[in-house]
Amino acid sequence: MVGRLAARLGEYGIVLAAAVILNFALPRALPGSPLRTVAGGESAGALPTETQARLLRSYGLDQSLWRQFLDYVRDLANLDLGNSFVDGSPVAEAIGRALPWTLLLVGSSLVLTVLIGVATGALAGYRRRVGKGNGLLSGALLLDSIPSFWLGMLLIALFGVTLGLLPTFGVGAGFADPGDLAGHLVLPVLTLTLTGFGQFFLVTRSSMLAVLSADHIEHARARGIGSARRIFRHALRPALLPAHTVLMIEIGYLVGGALVVETVFAYPGLGRVTFDAIRAKDFPVMQGTFLVLTLTVVVLNAVADATYALIDPRVRRPAVAT
Amino acid sequence: MVRARSGRLAAVAVAVLLGLSACGTEYSTPADRPGPRQANEVTIGVAGDEGTLTPYTHQTGYPGRNLVALVYDTLLDRDQHNELKPLLATGVEANQDNTAFTVPLRTDVRWHDGKPFTAADVVFSVDYHRQHPEGDSVPAIANVTAVTPRADTVDTVVFTLAAADPDFPSRLLADLRILPEHVWSTIDAPETATVEQAVGTGPYRLTKYTKDQGYELSANAEYPIGRPKIKTIKIAIIPEQQTGIAALRTTEVSVLSGQLPAEQAAGLRRQPGVRIAHGSSFTSTLLAFNNGRAPFDDPTVRAAISAAIDQQSLIDTVLRGGGQPGSPGFWHPDAAGADTALRHDYDPKHAAELLDKAGATPGQDGIRVLAGKPMSYPLLVQSENPRRVRAAELIRDMLSEVGIAVKVSAMDSDSVDAKVWPELDVGKGRDYDLAMWGWSAPVMLDPTSMSDILDADTSVGRLNITGTNDADIDGAAGRLRDATTTDDRRAALRDLQGLVEAKVPFVTLYYPEDSFGYRSDVYDGWVYQEGQGLLAKQSFVDLRW
Repeated sequence: MVGRLAARLGEYGIVLAAAVILNFALPRALPGSPLRTVAGGESAGALPTETQARLLRSYGLDQSLWRQFLDYVRDLANLDLGNSFVDGSPVAEAIGRALPWTLLLVGSSLVLTVLIGVATGALAGYRRRVGKGNGLLSGALLLDSIPSFWLGMLLIALFGVTLGLLPTFGVGAGFADPGDLAGHLVLPVLTLTLTGFGQFFLVTRSSMLAVLSADHIEHARARGIGSARRIFRHALRPALLPAHTVLMIEIGYLVGGALVVETVFAYPGLGRVTFDAIRAKDFPVMQGTFLVLTLTVVVLNAVADATYALIDPRVRRPAVAT
Repeated sequence: MVRARSGRLAAVAVAVLLGLSACGTEYSTPADRPGPRQANEVTIGVAGDEGTLTPYTHQTGYPGRNLVALVYDTLLDRDQHNELKPLLATGVEANQDNTAFTVPLRTDVRWHDGKPFTAADVVFSVDYHRQHPEGDSVPAIANVTAVTPRADTVDTVVFTLAAADPDFPSRLLADLRILPEHVWSTIDAPETATVEQAVGTGPYRLTKYTKDQGYELSANAEYPIGRPKIKTIKIAIIPEQQTGIAALRTTEVSVLSGQLPAEQAAGLRRQPGVRIAHGSSFTSTLLAFNNGRAPFDDPTVRAAISAAIDQQSLIDTVLRGGGQPGSPGFWHPDAAGADTALRHDYDPKHAAELLDKAGATPGQDGIRVLAGKPMSYPLLVQSENPRRVRAAELIRDMLSEVGIAVKVSAMDSDSVDAKVWPELDVGKGRDYDLAMWGWSAPVMLDPTSMSDILDADTSVGRLNITGTNDADIDGAAGRLRDATTTDDRRAALRDLQGLVEAKVPFVTLYYPEDSFGYRSDVYDGWVYQEGQGLLAKQSFVDLRW
């Protein structure tokens, strides 16, 4: 048991080490120079060569890549994510400022996505041969294939511009006015929910179809167990295992934010921080947000591993050679 | 979850849908009567965060510098026709050889924290900008040898220059943001200046900043130079243009800082309460040649390509008529010192003759052969700029008519930069044949920028991305820089424009017209500054100059 745990931890350690290297290398592999950012804007190219060199030196960008990497790892070991090239503020501050917004947006939409996706998926699986089930399948496939950017703009055009019911961007007064904030959240949450529930729907439906044709369901029917109990207790529970896996993966991506949706709705979350950092070639912020995303995915994968056994008792049983 | 499945098709579809949503409602054309010239609150939609709105923390030239100008003043400013006017100064007096400028200052100005503005702040600002030249508004400050308060008075400063500069008032006094010594003397790293340190003398005080969300500025009731026309300016950060346009329709924003595409402008024109302001833009769009690489090192080949390009067709197709043809001399016809007699001649027949003269012979598939190689070249273009991509495609078609094959190579602008302007240092060379390029509007406000763009000496020609290397041009560029009088400088500028027409280091394709959308039912006091746009200081203040 201890050996297996150590092996698993070792695997996670390797993944994290690879992620740290990639987080450092990817921003620097992008074409172009961060000089425009560190020089404060568009006139960077017109600066004298000595000034350009001095600026790059002050951000350590004149060092060899190897030296920069060692500095990055050293800072990381001290839990220092560095300072933004754009405004000199600590990267941890930028992440801390954006994280609650992302958790609110993506968390809300994830709850709705799972509830709607699982419920409709189970219903479609159960009613697979009738119009309602097929209609749900078609609807889910359609929504799953719509780009979130496009759907977001459609919703803005409909509910914001044409009907004038909802605000089109931002978070209003924020947490100071929860009612106003809720109004601003409706369209981005709706966009993420509609474009995201399809995968839960499809996984749950497919799983339900497999479970409903299993022997234990036939056995339950033969025992005279009512259809509600048969579905919720005997069919849905084992059918949720794949949905649980998808959920854990999605939660892992949660802190990555909804990059496109946050941009469309001018929402101040982590996705937009990442987007802005990529545009500005703000290496420290890119490294910081990528690292947080990687860490979350790894941790949530570990949680998924640990919680499988709670949902499916078969995972707890020792393997039997046959 | 990162969802990046959106594409150009989706953007087009949304644009169509937004257009239809406008068409679906019965909109009347806007009434001709003007809207309010004053307002309690105006919200400006901008595309990105501009830091703490200090001269060192904003991110863009436009609209960043315009927003900073609401908080910080310069000694001089430009009116809507770009004529210099006194702001913190009450005038400027040059000595005979333009090596010393005496600047009397206003005595009734106070910083936002109540402390008086003095000559010491001007002296401090010059020193500070000299020590920290990394701000976006880097002034041409190296030429200043001393700034001293005049001995006989406390409210006049004298700028002494190392070399004569007749455009010094334009290049520095209208550009240098004056900083409060009592605040900025403690700031060692200007890029970290906080909101609390955003203390200026300007017509608006920065009262609130929420990073990545927006700003709030309040009118400075004690501003002695003019009367703010808006009580509260809110600035909302909306990265996505389509969202900004939707917010303009819903009145969530009152004006958009970004230019409107022609298609969107047409749709918005039918929206009640919305007006579109049009005006000339000093922004240029060029076809850049790598002058250091054959065959573009041959002026005859460059001239042939220039003659094969139909500027009007580009303007009609790409800009839907909203633009001016580029001057063969580069300088915008409306900018000071322009040689307005220069005209681009579209003449494919002459282009073919020039190619014949250069030794390009007809080859297979209609592609000419020059020096044993087919005349086939990639044309780099920034993929995120649909106008330029379309222009590149049209240029490809035009050049094919004279036997030159062009392959349009669209890539992100950073990748184009990496090939055309590696590490933003022209001294590091370039790796391209043809590229779509452009310079921003402020270039046309400073005649010496022609020297920056053309001089082969890379310590001077910091913007010479074409690798132009021509003794005649260098000579004229030197005369332009060294001119001691305005007349001499204007003469050198005209010479340089003539040489650009003759040697064709690049082709100036067009100057796009700017279109800005605003809610005239909220506020209609906007002033369009020629070549610069709508967010001029005069739009926000009734300046008494």
